[in-house]
Amino acid sequence: MKFSELWRLSGKVYKEVSFQSIFLLRAGSTLPQGRRDIKQLVTNARVSTFISKLVTTVFIAVFAVVVFLPLVIGQLGPAVPTEAAVQGGVSAFLAVVLFLIVFMGLQISTSFVSSKIVDVLSPLPLSKHDISRIVFLCFIRIFDIPLIAAAVVFLTVYFLIGGSVLGGLISLVSIIVTEIFALALTTISARFFYLKVASSGGRSKWQTFLRFVFMLVWILPTFAAYFVVNFARDIVSSFAHLTQSFSSFFQILVLVYPFSYGFLVSYATFFRGVDYATLSLSIASSIAYIIVAYYCLKWVTQTVRKIGLGATVRSLTEAVKDTHINPQIPWLGIIRKDLRVASRAPSYASLFLLPVIQTVVLAAAFSSFNEVGLSTALGILTGISMITLLLPPTLLSIEGLGSAYTRHLPMKKRTLITAKTLLSTVTYMISLVVLSIVAYALGKNFSLILTFGMIHVLSEAAAIMLELIILMKKFWKEGFALGNIYSRISTYILILIPGYIVASIPIVSAFVVFFFATPLALPIFFTAAIAEFTLMAAVVALEK
Amino acid sequence: METMAVKVEELAVSYGSFVAVENLSFNVKNGEIYGLLGPNGAGKTTTIKVLVGVLEPRSGKVEIYNTPLTDEVAAKSQIGYVPEEVVLLDSLTPREYFEFVASIRRLDRQGVNSKLERFASAFELKQYFDTPIAALSMGNKQKVAIVTALLHDPKLLILDEPLIGLDARSSKILKELITFHAKKGGAVIFSTHIMEVAEKLCTRVGIINKGKIVREGTVDELRKLVRSAEGSLEDIFLKVTEQEAGMQDIIKALEED
Repeated sequence: MKFSELWRLSGKVYKEVSFQSIFLLRAGSTLPQGRRDIKQLVTNARVSTFISKLVTTVFIAVFAVVVFLPLVIGQLGPAVPTEAAVQGGVSAFLAVVLFLIVFMGLQISTSFVSSKIVDVLSPLPLSKHDISRIVFLCFIRIFDIPLIAAAVVFLTVYFLIGGSVLGGLISLVSIIVTEIFALALTTISARFFYLKVASSGGRSKWQTFLRFVFMLVWILPTFAAYFVVNFARDIVSSFAHLTQSFSSFFQILVLVYPFSYGFLVSYATFFRGVDYATLSLSIASSIAYIIVAYYCLKWVTQTVRKIGLGATVRSLTEAVKDTHINPQIPWLGIIRKDLRVASRAPSYASLFLLPVIQTVVLAAAFSSFNEVGLSTALGILTGISMITLLLPPTLLSIEGLGSAYTRHLPMKKRTLITAKTLLSTVTYMISLVVLSIVAYALGKNFSLILTFGMIHVLSEAAAIMLELIILMKKFWKEGFALGNIYSRISTYILILIPGYIVASIPIVSAFVVFFFATPLALPIFFTAAIAEFTLMAAVVALEK
Repeated sequence: METMAVKVEELAVSYGSFVAVENLSFNVKNGEIYGLLGPNGAGKTTTIKVLVGVLEPRSGKVEIYNTPLTDEVAAKSQIGYVPEEVVLLDSLTPREYFEFVASIRRLDRQGVNSKLERFASAFELKQYFDTPIAALSMGNKQKVAIVTALLHDPKLLILDEPLIGLDARSSKILKELITFHAKKGGAVIFSTHIMEVAEKLCTRVGIINKGKIVREGTVDELRKLVRSAEGSLEDIFLKVTEQEAGMQDIIKALEED
């Protein structure tokens, strides 16, 4: 079969895989009724995967600009020679491209691993060879734009800093090697995630703990991506300093990917200050990495084809001793179910961790304060509470999973609101405890944060209840799938704004009173928080 | 006086401008197995989804044991439902799923565990108890849905194509359970495309076509109605749904091809 025809067919399969990644993992297999809504969901899936590629591309481009701009405009720091800056810049860029591509591809690749593409393709009059080529092309489509963009961006900036033809060639080879490594890493991680987290059952506490650890490993890159871009300059300068510190120990660095390519590109650009021993080592290690990349590519090709033929999808059964279950009261049953679902779906688990990680970041900012006053404490509470208020809509969307069936259960609205409010509020409280621990470790006074924070839990709970009530009114009948909630940005914003207002009222009141009658700040804060909580609790109690 | 399990009056459901069900009315009494039959897209699943509270009708009245469907929690508490398309919480294991449903239904621990033990062994589900539902075969997922529907001992069973994907053993057990449930005084609404099953199992059938009940009664009553004393339920069905005319010509043309 012609390549153009295979490429066209792989496009159809890719559409299905990207749809599954949105539909199964995020929309929870809940098909909205009506042809127009389904069409919208299909479009959302396509747009969402395209945006994911675009975001990765933008991250790569931004990082390239931050890294190489000082070299282009000739404004390097006084302590950094141009050669070291290029060595550090190239090494850092390659490392970041590797990381971003792996991260971006993980979710869709996991769907790819779990999908039975062959079920769709095998009944068609296609040879096994053509099917495996289609499957491989489909896998490449997951990464197409970032792969091309990374190469184009890298070569463009390289020539903008005055690179040579030889340096350009080495740069091209280095980025291709990096991209192959990224594909191999994604394949390994996606398979690993599918087998250990998404499809792993088991009842023991050890298995649950393992799933939690895997989930942490899975989520952390989300935050690392944020740090990579925010601290791009620092990363580059660290890489540059590493490459400068050339004792005999650091000569080993030249053997390590991506430094080998950093050194080689730098030498091929400036042809000066050549240390022949280091140059030989970097050439040798770069060639070795090309060979490794060749085998990686071979492995990826074979593995992806095997995955496409359904080798990873298997029924996982184990010896079961009993059929005993432990029913709880309804709201506790909902919380247990939510935690179990979240322990297997990164998109949900990341939201639980988000406030806590945000808290650690905020706590780290403590070091710049001499003392933690009321305004600082209230500012920090505002930050954490706003992040926590992103949780309820996502938490409620768990109800969208399988809702075509679970919606027939005799579930009361107030039970659902109570369960989700408790879970979100506990997440907020955990953030406060983490904040206090970090503050204590840094030797800062955290009594104001703890006092105002624990009172603000009431206001936060009221804000969460309000968000949930609005969501209930809107989506009780049509289901809570993310496809429903997030596809209507205006609705989503309209849900968040009232929540933000409720959570801000005690903070703003205390802040204003603080300037006029400082001792009244705490009583006003307390009164506002308890009034909000009582009002919202009463409204929830009226929900049937 | 016979207890009315389900009362549907003038039900109408639309998806946008498409009318799926129009002026549909029927009753199901206690002790009855009511077969809901109809060609694809006739409105069977839509009707069933309204009965279990998954879909909201445009108009009409539905009562489950004299409880209007607007009293959602009370009405839903009396129903056990197996959907046509089994979409469960795929990331959970059957054990976790049963635990969630049992919690929502406030089931007593001892009672539910003894029932679960019996159902798991009847449907050979025990070995899959700690396997994620996503990794189960279609038939095993169907078994999970069936067991979930039976866990709380509902008065009314609503089963939408429950035999699809089931092996012969499980299929036989389910049919026996349905019959036993009706004999005990419960009610069953049962949708199927397998006419032989409907003929053997159902005490009464309602044939839906284009969103309306076109015929209703026992198989014998329907035979009389369509003047087909010898015909099977399949023949009656094809006649009533106006699919019989020209069918021989179509089959002939296909054979000639």
